[in-house]
Amino acid sequence: MRLLRRFLNQVGSKLEAEAFMIDSKRFTLSQEMERHGFSRENLVYAGTYLGRNRRRFEPGSPLLQMLASEEKTRKVHLDREAAWLFVCGRDIFEENIRRVEGNLELGGHYLVMFEGRCIGYGRFETSAGIHVIRNLFDLGDFLRRED
Amino acid sequence: MPVSRKEAGKKFFLSRYLSLGHRLTGDESTRQAIRVNTLKTTDDEITETLTSLGVNLSKVPYLDHGYTVEASGFSLGASIEYLLGLFSLQESASQYAAQTLAPSAGDTVLDMCAAPGGKTTQIAAYMGNRGLMYAVDHDRDRLYALENNLERCGVENCLVYHGDATRLEHGTMFSKVLLDAPCSGNYVTDQSWFRRRSIEDVNRNAETQRELLSAAVKILEPGGVLLYATCSLEPEENELNIEWLLSNHAVALESIEGPGENGLTQVFDRRLDAEVSKCHRFWPDTTHTQGFFLAKVVRL
Repeated sequence: MRLLRRFLNQVGSKLEAEAFMIDSKRFTLSQEMERHGFSRENLVYAGTYLGRNRRRFEPGSPLLQMLASEEKTRKVHLDREAAWLFVCGRDIFEENIRRVEGNLELGGHYLVMFEGRCIGYGRFETSAGIHVIRNLFDLGDFLRRED
Repeated sequence: MPVSRKEAGKKFFLSRYLSLGHRLTGDESTRQAIRVNTLKTTDDEITETLTSLGVNLSKVPYLDHGYTVEASGFSLGASIEYLLGLFSLQESASQYAAQTLAPSAGDTVLDMCAAPGGKTTQIAAYMGNRGLMYAVDHDRDRLYALENNLERCGVENCLVYHGDATRLEHGTMFSKVLLDAPCSGNYVTDQSWFRRRSIEDVNRNAETQRELLSAAVKILEPGGVLLYATCSLEPEENELNIEWLLSNHAVALESIEGPGENGLTQVFDRRLDAEVSKCHRFWPDTTHTQGFFLAKVVRL
């Protein structure tokens, strides 16, 4: 839970999700699923995927979409061209950010948004004297996982 | 000149299809299709977006949320909208299976051979992410693809188990079961099919499918519905298995409407139970899809 909580704090989320664990993966279950009861033997996935612990917490797409709908989370919005580069694993130059929700501060973590949906997150940094959103996770990971 | 394995296989199987009433060439094809993920978007929103990007879509008349891709200047599977789970790539005939099962929020559903999860995500969409669905597959590697699909499509009502679907011991009884059985496949979606397949494969698969059918019926509530599907054109894996099921279990069939044809009741020199005509077949020459077979089974 520590890595998950740290990630939620970083992007300004107040979400309090009960995490159900399968190996390094974190899920949350609906009341309906909890009520039903089920065997954990050979279970590999359950309910809503929040993410998994690696060196840092790697959020899942369902968690990112939950955070996207939270008003208080910090967000940067991109146009299609920049969004495409981001899901290809690239960092985003400050000049390509179309809109910011919250203050843009060096060292701050931001959800990266495209047309109202979250495509990943990153940290605002200086790289070779240029301000960028450093890509920490993006949805292009779905394609990279299958390679 | 010696006949290649591919040519021999092609001749053998096409002559079987001819005796079943279809003069196929072996060159039939299917078009790429997408299914809108109604858990995340609407048909109007995603078709408008894709059209604005130059994708030419046409609605498949018999599918609830399916569209044929007539033309696209880029790979749809590598688009932002795909990564966001707004649609899935799923062949038209394949979309008809979960649509025919018609699960809803009140159901407890089992997807028996679930990986890689195209139909699992479709079932979740019909259930509106409510109720409870179990998905099982014995192949751990293919389960990773299923997990990715569930995550991408925002599925929240599914429990996924690694295991053998013929040996389920969860103690749960299901109101709906999808058995999209491992099968011999068909040549429309596999260019090497005629070279790789033999009648021995077909018979071996048919035996496994009967084990799966028996297991499925045992965990179905009385009145519950089992949707059996294969992407095989071979009657041994289809009508003959369903006739066997009718003879060995307390079940009945429900008719399936839609494109394509009724199940065969004359298979080579054998006359089958007339009830088997309630099954449904997609023949590539008439539906312009891959070969596909469906049977809607009700436990008595």
